[in-house]
Amino acid sequence: MTSALRPGLPSPEQLKSYRIWDSYFTPAYSHPGADGSSTLVADIERAMPAVRKGEFEKLCYFPHVGIGTTTDADFEKLARSRSDITLNVMERWPKLLLGMIQLNANDVPASLDALNRWLRDGPMIGVYFRGGGVGSLTCTHPNFHPLIERIAELRGVIMQHTWFVTGGKQSPGASTPSELAEVAAKFPEQKFVCAHAGGEWQRGIRAVQNSPNILIETSGFDASAGFIEMAVRELGAERIVFGSHLPSRSLGTELSKVIAANITEADKRLILGENFRKLIQRPIG
Amino acid sequence: MNRRDVLSLAVSAGAATKMLPSSVRAANQQDSSELRIVDTNASLFQWPFRRLPLDDVEVLVEKYRSLGIKQAWAGTFEGVLHRDVASANRRLTDACLKYAELVPIGSVNPELPGWEEDLRRCHEEHSMPGIRLHANYHGYTLDDPRFAKLLKLATAAGLFVQIAATIEDNRTQHPQLQVPDVDLAPLADVVRQVSGARVQVLNFRPRGAAFEQLAKTTHVMFDTARVDGTDGIPKLVESLPAGRVLFGTHAPFLIPEAALIRVHESDRLDDAALRAVYATNADTMFWKNGV
Repeated sequence: MTSALRPGLPSPEQLKSYRIWDSYFTPAYSHPGADGSSTLVADIERAMPAVRKGEFEKLCYFPHVGIGTTTDADFEKLARSRSDITLNVMERWPKLLLGMIQLNANDVPASLDALNRWLRDGPMIGVYFRGGGVGSLTCTHPNFHPLIERIAELRGVIMQHTWFVTGGKQSPGASTPSELAEVAAKFPEQKFVCAHAGGEWQRGIRAVQNSPNILIETSGFDASAGFIEMAVRELGAERIVFGSHLPSRSLGTELSKVIAANITEADKRLILGENFRKLIQRPIG
Repeated sequence: MNRRDVLSLAVSAGAATKMLPSSVRAANQQDSSELRIVDTNASLFQWPFRRLPLDDVEVLVEKYRSLGIKQAWAGTFEGVLHRDVASANRRLTDACLKYAELVPIGSVNPELPGWEEDLRRCHEEHSMPGIRLHANYHGYTLDDPRFAKLLKLATAAGLFVQIAATIEDNRTQHPQLQVPDVDLAPLADVVRQVSGARVQVLNFRPRGAAFEQLAKTTHVMFDTARVDGTDGIPKLVESLPAGRVLFGTHAPFLIPEAALIRVHESDRLDDAALRAVYATNADTMFWKNGV
């Protein structure tokens, strides 16, 4: 039987008042299942108790669309030929799910085609670039330029995975906030989201401080105290978007970074939803 | 360990009761409908690498009160790098005496000469119920004979032993002070050799062969501070015999609300299981040796 105990959480009314839009929902992040959706659906279901407790309005996840972002050749072929598999998942939770497709900067032609299929024709709102493994490429590579130009034309959101790992990168395709700042300087009219604020956020915040077209995303590392306070102080609350990283991370870890921070309620509303809504310039379902 | 060591500590086991904070004495007098919360993994004072919003003791206690946390087992960040451990433990005790919620958990570093005296003071002078070890920062492994000796002495004195598997994700540590997590592989064998030992592993992400061995070892407990994933804590609870998972926040390094929410967010634990994690298991471990 479900318990009514819920220590640590604000009241449901308080949470609703924040109008939480999650920019970084990661069900089946690496592979949605051989049939294209079973693992994904199971992972979304797994996250639902926390999503309900958090009173989230929207969740943005990162679909694989068959352009080489998994190691499964059969799935890649399936995803390329059957867009209905991806659409069916979104239609199962039509009021809840948003999508930003995973792009593969190693394959520019396929990524450009995917941008037309999924952004121009809908329903996706942006793109996600991985930070390691198959399909990843450091964001300073020239391959990114034609992709960013097209994303800008389509008014899409760009989410770039970033980490500053002590001791150096753990993957050749990884990107750091400093590298994202280099790219962002070339496209000053385009907004970029620096996922995970670089993980080691004290360096990450400094790296993007002078890049006004970069926002940081809040998930992906322990609930280390003081992060949001420093980010608001150095960047302003307008440059921070909330991410849950559910279900592989947790409501507790990720939501507490914002709700427990020593910042104003107005800043919490910006971070938890307003900023992401403002960032989205494409129609949503 | 010689016979005199054991006797010296064992004779004074139990002497601590009269000096326990009121939060401990009140543990058995709670209204059963009220949710009791015990944080088994707090630390006082400043983390050496940055200021933390709750690193002032008074502010930390105010936060605990606002969250309904009735008791916190508090170690000291000074015990991680300071070599004058005796004065660090003294400051910890003095700070804890000001707040009913705080229970001091001293540091002992068996790499330092005379560590047995630190252990004796933790028990006899400071009336601590347990000690906390930072084997990785102090530079020894758990198959070191000094660790086995320390565990025997502490157990003979009625003290539980907390082992912090890590403090900070090693991906975000200061580049000039990178400290790998404690290798827990030898721990199960050592604990099995010390009858009555009570050991709690802190800040551990339960996985791998070491966890499987520890799961089979009675009297090895775990805290929840770095168990992540929306259903990570229920999975940990379900994978162990009853009573082995204790609530811990790793505050002020981590945000205490994070740990509180993670226990219940997946709705997989019923009321009794939640109460066990939040407090009952900690109370049981605390009192098991009759302190």
